[in-house]
Amino acid sequence: MKLARAFKHALNLVMHSKLRSWLTIIGIVIGVASVVSIMSIGAGLEQDITSQLGGLGADLLTITPGLSKASGFSHKMPSDGGSATEGEVVLDRTDVQVLKGIPEILLIDTEIRGSAEVYYLGKRGSVTLTGVDQKVWAQITTSEMRDGRILGPADQNVIVIGGRLADDYFERPLGINKMITIEGSSFRVVGILDDQSTNIYMPIQMAYHVLDDKENDVYDSITVKIKNEDKLDYVIETIEHKLMMTRHVTDRDKDFTISSSRQMGEMKSEMVSSLTTFLTAIAAVALLVGAVGIANTMFTSVLEKTKEIGIMKALGARNKDILAIFLLNAFLIGLIGGIIGIILGYLLSSILPTLMGGGGFIGRLASAGSVVTLESVLLSLSVAVGIGTLSGAIPAYQASKLKPVDALRYE
Amino acid sequence: MKQNDTLLRLENVWKIYRMGEIEFAALKGVDLEIDKGEFVAILGPSGSGKSTMMNLIGCLDMPSRGVIRLDARDISKLCESDLAQIRGKKIGFIFQQFNLIPTLSVLDNVMLPLEFQEVDNSVARQKALKLLDLVGLKDRVYHNPSQLSGGQRQRVAIARSLAVDPDIILADEPTGNLDSKTGAYILDFLNGLHTNEGKTIVVVTHDLNIVKYVEKVVYIKDGEIEKVECT
Ligand SMILES: Nc1ncnc2c1ncn2[C@@H]1O[C@H](COP(=O)(O)OP(=O)(O)O)[C@@H](O)[C@H]1O
Ligand SMILES: [Mg+2]
Repeated sequence: MKLARAFKHALNLVMHSKLRSWLTIIGIVIGVASVVSIMSIGAGLEQDITSQLGGLGADLLTITPGLSKASGFSHKMPSDGGSATEGEVVLDRTDVQVLKGIPEILLIDTEIRGSAEVYYLGKRGSVTLTGVDQKVWAQITTSEMRDGRILGPADQNVIVIGGRLADDYFERPLGINKMITIEGSSFRVVGILDDQSTNIYMPIQMAYHVLDDKENDVYDSITVKIKNEDKLDYVIETIEHKLMMTRHVTDRDKDFTISSSRQMGEMKSEMVSSLTTFLTAIAAVALLVGAVGIANTMFTSVLEKTKEIGIMKALGARNKDILAIFLLNAFLIGLIGGIIGIILGYLLSSILPTLMGGGGFIGRLASAGSVVTLESVLLSLSVAVGIGTLSGAIPAYQASKLKPVDALRYE
Repeated sequence: MKQNDTLLRLENVWKIYRMGEIEFAALKGVDLEIDKGEFVAILGPSGSGKSTMMNLIGCLDMPSRGVIRLDARDISKLCESDLAQIRGKKIGFIFQQFNLIPTLSVLDNVMLPLEFQEVDNSVARQKALKLLDLVGLKDRVYHNPSQLSGGQRQRVAIARSLAVDPDIILADEPTGNLDSKTGAYILDFLNGLHTNEGKTIVVVTHDLNIVKYVEKVVYIKDGEIEKVECT
């Protein structure tokens, strides 16, 4: 029998047991869709992290007081415990002096951070305020400007704000040159960042006034830019060594943390890839269950079609003709399930993160977006088709081996 | 049409069914000759071994012992794929239960034997349409078998059995599921195939009406040939 005709009969089999075929197809769809969506979201995240890594910040180090085991994760967050009160471990000018003595360091940005009451056109709120060393911040920050300018050395009562604070935090947009009241003092907006934050950045001297629980010359974090990013590990070691000496601490009672965005990125990317692998494994199990479904459907189908197989054999069908028809039947179920699964998986991967929305990790997913790689599409399609054909192989072989008389007698 | 030219020959053919410990001989040393162009009836009570014999002649089953020659070729030791070739090229089957494929149209059913012979689609189609015209079902080609009456279904089966221009047509109780009027029509039709087209036809039946058409009646009982009558 010609392949095209065998294909027609296989399609006929699919069409004439619609419910069962579709149920089987759904099994494959679920498996493929979960593999594709998980792989796409994973790929999106990894790409996002890689772009962060490869781009800005690979030459930056941040030193924070206190010892954080998961070094790096709190790096960009406001450090709540970092308020410089008496008796707590702090970073101060002595530490900055030490850092200035390290020749590999190019720039040093001291920062403080706290939450501040803001007021604009009748609406109040509380946002994170960061005081930065405006003489170096422009060269050290990884944030992009969307509008206006960045803080300069001579600035006093001016601020740079996050994109969300500018657009929708207040009733009306807070644009360039608008005045906003922060903790009772007036500030002028000179720049808007290209991000989705509600952060406010101002010169650190002003921030000491505004955040009145902060002590002068005590910092919540120190960010340094090094001259040569290849020497990152060496610089980390040097800083660690020198600070430990001047702070009179040892490895056991170390009271500061050095984190690099590269470290952070590597950790994140590791986490994401192991998470993706784990989820993909679960999705693969779903795919496997779908495959068992195909095998089951095929066994049932062969049993149900026994008489017809007998008729076909009486009409001259050879074993390989019967084999071809049933293999193609399984192939078709795998193919249809695979294609629908890929489309569904693609939709899921673009909708799911947005649907779950919110902050934290899932929020990151949303902003990272998903990347449907050709690799994942081809992989899951060939797996679906392969698994479909494979799980149809035994039933199809059984069908082909039926003895004509026995098959014809089957009722 | 040449007479006395042996098409099929059974020599001491046995068929023994094994059911666990029990052995049952359905055919006990049958000898039979069927000539080209002959119209033969096999008559016998139910369970006498008629279908068993038909299955052996039709290469659907293998004899336990003995030799079956089709065109002088011993087919009792061939492999399944060779048997499939013989069935597909040389034999046309007509069954009591019609055995049409319910999910295929009338036309597709008749085309099916040609597809197994890898005949071109358009050729197969033309051939099938011609045969359906012959059996008077020209206007039913796109119907499903379930939309046809029993007599019409058997006519489709006849058209299908003729698709590959077989050497021999085997009909196992073709009228068994039909009322006597339709049955008579089918027998008439087979007779027409024999007289007009010179087809070799073997009909298994216990319908004694057939005796008036055929040239040879084989009486079979308990797996043995009782007598052969030439009319
Ligand atoms: N596959 C089989 N297994 C066991 N016994 C069978 C089988 N096929 C037929 N028989 C037995 O062989 C005998 C002849 O059967 P069959 O050729 O179908 O008779 P008929 O067609 O003349 O009614 C019956 O007794 C039947 O029970
Ligand atoms: Mg019978």
